[in-house]
Amino acid sequence: MKTKRQPLAAHDPWTARRFCWGGTRGLRVLALRGLLLATLAFGSRLPATEAGSSVSNAWWALQPLRSVLPPRSPETSNPAVANPIDGFIRGSLRSKGLIPAPEADRRVLLRRLSFDLTGLGPTPEEMDRFVADAAPDAYERAVDRLLASPRYGERWARHWMDVAHFAETHGHDQDRIRTNAWPYRDYLIASFNSDKPYSRFVQEQVAGDVMYPDDSAVTVALGFLAAGPWDESSLRDIREDTLDRQMGRYLDRDDILTTVMQTFASVTVQCARCHDHKFDPVTQRDYYGLQAVFSGVDRANRPYDSDPAVHRQRRELLRHLALLNQGDRSELAHPETQAAIQRLESARKDAVSSWSAIAPDTFLSASGARMERQADGSFFVSGRHGPTDIYTLSVRELPPRVTAVRLEVMPDDRLPQKGPGREANGNLHLSEFQVRLFLPGASAAVDVPMKKASADYNQPGWIIDHSLDGDEKSAWGIHPQEGERHHAVFELASALEIPKGAQLVFVLKQLHGGHCIGRFRLSISSFSPSDALAALPGAIDQILAKPKAERSSEEAATLATTVMRHRWEGESSQLPAPAYVYAAASDFIPDGGLKPSGRPRPVHILKRGEITQPLGVASPGALSCVSVAGLPAFPSADSTDEGLRRAALARWLTHPENPLTWRSIVNRVWHHHFGRGLAGTPNDFGRMGDIPTHPELLDWLATWFRDDAHGSMKQLHRLVVTSQTYRQESRNPSTPSDVDPENRLLARMNRARLDAEQIRDTVLQISGRLDLRMGGPSDHQFDLQPGIHVTPRVDYTKFNVDDAAGRRRGVYRFLFRTLPDPFMDALDCPAGDQWMPVRNAQVTIQQALGLWNSAFMTRQCEHFAHRLEQSAADVDAQVREAFRWVFNRPPARDEAADFTAYARRHGLANLARLLFNSNEFVFLD
Amino acid sequence: MNPADQRRSPPLRLASVESRREFVSRLGAGLGGVALWQLLDRDLAVAGEIPSSLPHHAPKARRVIQLFMNGGASQMDLFDYKPELLQRAGQTFDPGAGVRVEAATSEPGKVLPPQFPFRRHGQCGRWVSDLLPHLGACVDDMAFFMAMASRTNVHGPGSYLMNTGFLLPGFPCFGSWISYGLGRIADNLPTFVVLPDAKGLPYNQKGNFSSGFLPAQHQGTVIQASAPNPIADLAPPEQARFITPSASQEGLTLLDKFNRAHQAMRAEDTRLESRVRAYELAARMQLSAPEVFDLSGEPAELRRAYGLEEPASQDFGRRCLLARRMIERGVRFVQVWSGAGGPSNNWDNHTSIAKELPPMCAATDLPIATLLRDLKARGLLEDTLVLWNTEFGRMPFSQGGEGRDHNGGAFVGWMAGAGVRGGAAYGETDPWSWKAQSDVTSTYDFHATVLHLLGIQHEKLSVRFSGANRRLTDVHGRVVTQLLA
Repeated sequence: MKTKRQPLAAHDPWTARRFCWGGTRGLRVLALRGLLLATLAFGSRLPATEAGSSVSNAWWALQPLRSVLPPRSPETSNPAVANPIDGFIRGSLRSKGLIPAPEADRRVLLRRLSFDLTGLGPTPEEMDRFVADAAPDAYERAVDRLLASPRYGERWARHWMDVAHFAETHGHDQDRIRTNAWPYRDYLIASFNSDKPYSRFVQEQVAGDVMYPDDSAVTVALGFLAAGPWDESSLRDIREDTLDRQMGRYLDRDDILTTVMQTFASVTVQCARCHDHKFDPVTQRDYYGLQAVFSGVDRANRPYDSDPAVHRQRRELLRHLALLNQGDRSELAHPETQAAIQRLESARKDAVSSWSAIAPDTFLSASGARMERQADGSFFVSGRHGPTDIYTLSVRELPPRVTAVRLEVMPDDRLPQKGPGREANGNLHLSEFQVRLFLPGASAAVDVPMKKASADYNQPGWIIDHSLDGDEKSAWGIHPQEGERHHAVFELASALEIPKGAQLVFVLKQLHGGHCIGRFRLSISSFSPSDALAALPGAIDQILAKPKAERSSEEAATLATTVMRHRWEGESSQLPAPAYVYAAASDFIPDGGLKPSGRPRPVHILKRGEITQPLGVASPGALSCVSVAGLPAFPSADSTDEGLRRAALARWLTHPENPLTWRSIVNRVWHHHFGRGLAGTPNDFGRMGDIPTHPELLDWLATWFRDDAHGSMKQLHRLVVTSQTYRQESRNPSTPSDVDPENRLLARMNRARLDAEQIRDTVLQISGRLDLRMGGPSDHQFDLQPGIHVTPRVDYTKFNVDDAAGRRRGVYRFLFRTLPDPFMDALDCPAGDQWMPVRNAQVTIQQALGLWNSAFMTRQCEHFAHRLEQSAADVDAQVREAFRWVFNRPPARDEAADFTAYARRHGLANLARLLFNSNEFVFLD
Repeated sequence: MNPADQRRSPPLRLASVESRREFVSRLGAGLGGVALWQLLDRDLAVAGEIPSSLPHHAPKARRVIQLFMNGGASQMDLFDYKPELLQRAGQTFDPGAGVRVEAATSEPGKVLPPQFPFRRHGQCGRWVSDLLPHLGACVDDMAFFMAMASRTNVHGPGSYLMNTGFLLPGFPCFGSWISYGLGRIADNLPTFVVLPDAKGLPYNQKGNFSSGFLPAQHQGTVIQASAPNPIADLAPPEQARFITPSASQEGLTLLDKFNRAHQAMRAEDTRLESRVRAYELAARMQLSAPEVFDLSGEPAELRRAYGLEEPASQDFGRRCLLARRMIERGVRFVQVWSGAGGPSNNWDNHTSIAKELPPMCAATDLPIATLLRDLKARGLLEDTLVLWNTEFGRMPFSQGGEGRDHNGGAFVGWMAGAGVRGGAAYGETDPWSWKAQSDVTSTYDFHATVLHLLGIQHEKLSVRFSGANRRLTDVHGRVVTQLLA
């Protein structure tokens, strides 16, 4: 009999519901299952808890971690060499009468270790050193060397990216590039390399911004929550008032919470979206509780400061601003605030009167519209009205000094909706505003740098800063406040001294949908400091115009708030520009229809998952079936601070007594070392997943990892790879082939097909082309052209594989979600559209074609040939050298004869092609 | 038991991971289980045998050509004739009873009548727009889903739903499920081929042809019909001058010898054998694929009939003809796309139905009609199913005056060929073609029906992934027997 599990529940949903995770009837079944499993896997050694004792009314994964003592066995009797893992594994082998395979030879061991820990094969020199190392701890030192290598973090970060379904475009029909996704990848690499304790690693990725606000490095960790696909059409472009928008939000949160719960807890909560989970004790209420945890965040570009000092300063400023925005007035009465108001009032009076309208000599519309000067110094535009226009005005009559420029856009009865724009709705879009200086006698103008722009009103998402950002696609707008006067002030970077005879040229680019300005006036000022000139919201100007005594207390408060906001924003703008990471964010710059929610959006339990059938409001929470004392409480449904919701979940996940988290991670690590987890489904510990083959080992490892290793991944790796179990040969002639054909009991090591990155990176290493530069923006290994709409046109065939962008490790490739690299795709590299805790490892025709014919492989063959030519003079030696690189061994005599003859006839590049396509290279013993 | 019988035995047909494991264990295959499938597939193909008797019931269809109109083809301007819209033209759209009318990307406009005349065709008397005169002549071979309904009004999720049965990315598409369930017919061509529009890939790009969590061998092989190398990596790149035919040929022989020596010590691992076979199959595909793309042997008259002489229909026509050639040579599933992603040059006619729809019809009408006739003349329509689909329909009211916004509430699809009751129609929309009203066909029902024709019970074709037994039809689906012969 085999250790085959029969999913009792799976065959009959009705039975499944009745036997769901407990209850007395279920208990009997579970006990029976436990007995069955125990008998199969462990002979007569029956885990006490599974035999139906008092604590066993829960599914295995929900039972508390048991404290297990490693079995004593001949292998572990000498404590100096004992590895507890072997005690468990060999015990179960013995009970089945199986003999473990012998230890693999050194060549096999170092290849295994090196590919496993770093994703790269050993170099010939590394192999020579290891084989020649006679010290008893040679293997352990090799392990330490590889774990200390930066290549380790690159390898294990990639595993994590599979689970997070990380890619760098949105997916869906508008597969836009996420320029700022890569910092999360670098965060992962750094976290693995620095051996960050696991519990901290989990917390940072769920709520690092809340739990570790002083740490400038954790913001990027939130890239985890945003790693998956995002439906830009539904969440940004369609109308806010549609059911599709609402449904899009539920589906988006579904992706986030599924990622979190599968990754950290190995639970498939997403199956409870339409009804209570059919197989696991997850209720719909639990599911929507998790929706509520994430209902205050969107996926967006989130600013961060990597410099800790700047991070601290900005955080302080943002705290002040947040208080103001929340209506906190405690700071308003502060003498400092009052003094600031006083300063503003006096400066303002002089500043406002300092503006004088310009009198340009020439003024011109690029599209041929007519511009007429009005009596008040403004211009009225009429006549031709194209989709874009650029107004250029040039002035000779200037004061000796200019500190700022003001643009007034003015209503006019001749314009639609009274303007000030010329489009039907009266709006305008100022894409870019430039000032240029022509020095006397100069043949070309120089750009006058700007400090900042301000406006009395900004259309949401169309802020005045856009007119200085150099991006012609973004612009300033005033919708829905058409029909009124508005103004913007552009402060020059420093006071501009103007020699006699110089000219100033003002350029107003309006490049968006015919939203050109219909009436405007430009003025200049020489007042300093120029920030006293900054445009203030219209209401504030009105308040300032009133004598102090006539202002209501409400008005005084509004004024004080604005002054303080002005001050904090001013100080904040002095800080170095922040970097951005694509991450979960509750506060971000609106992008069209994508706007911060301000506070958590209400989440309803949806009957059958239908948006049209909302039931009650969901309260933030996690899984009700995990009942451990001391789990954190979640904020209520009407709580406003979304961050506290995520922090509660992070604490819930990392609670030492949470039985899921610790089993989940040690099983995941085990999977990557052995090709199969102790439970074969790393993302699903429920009834539809696999039952662990060695439950006691799993519990022991989980406990050891949590308590003894303090969540150190490197210690966990070290423990696993130094076990005899890991060091076995991958064949075991002493095991009858019909016993344990899937090698669940581990009487041998599993043979692995190298994965996409292992093949690609190692081929580059062998060809001598691997560039080990780490981090930074991802490498585009394709030709990129603008597409018909949002999604760009991507052509992998046009990429020059010798380009510098093609030489770094695969973890730094740009990952295009709906158009993955065909070569990597054929080697089962996930596209980021689905969670991939276990990669497929197929052998297919497309894969054979890619390895045999692709531009990448054939070119590396030539590079490798070149390297071989340099290494030795005659073909015999070159073939030997080739074997040392590709297989880490010398050729046997008949192999040497065959391949040398072939290389003589067809050259070394063709030789390389054969070796790279061999089973010995593609499979790891 | 010979391998072919094994292949069809019931435990395999459950298609769950569990049953595969059982099967694999029985054969002592170890971890290389799935590779074994390929060997079996191949053995069947070598024997010239199509896996015909499916486990669930006798199939009517063995292969499929799906024509996909990317963007949301306007049902009330093509097949769903609504005189009511003519009467109400220019009025505010009001379905009554205070029902809220919303549109995905725009403010609902006034009622926009069908922009072209309709007339009745065939013995069945189906109404078809004058934009589709050639297809009009084929209606007696076609069966219409007149009241299809989606669950979304947005292209991304809508295209996913129609292609994979789920609104979110990452699930196996229709063709992948069929490749997975039925395997290959020929061993020198891919099982599932996608022919995208020469202008570009559709919304969701390759997401629509992804095998999701199924093994990568089941994903759609994208063939750029007009590119110099339609199948990627079929031959080495030109720059790789060191590769000569003899270097490749002798190389494969030596590689085979080397691999077999390696394998001798590791006989239990069937993946090693599979890889050796994969190179043999790749070589065979290299030889036979170019012939498929060579249309010069097709009679000039037939080429003309496929629209190859007209610029408007050239690209789509070529791909329809290629689809026939592939089906003929043993490709199981061919998906032919009309229109790329983006806001224009496809069926997403927001701006003007009168201007944007006619070119799409001109590009496809004649080629599709000829494809149906050609398949029929060759007897291929006996066991080939032709499907015409789109991700959703359009609104009875205008957007910006002359165009129409997305409408997941109602759309039309049709099928022809194997097992189909020609001339039949199922379901009805409301008087404005705003919402599917009676005998509604969900995307799940549609997939269930097609799987049924292929001999598959849709509830039984499942794979366990991420906590559930995943199906093309999720937890829904009903076979629309009314349209079956």
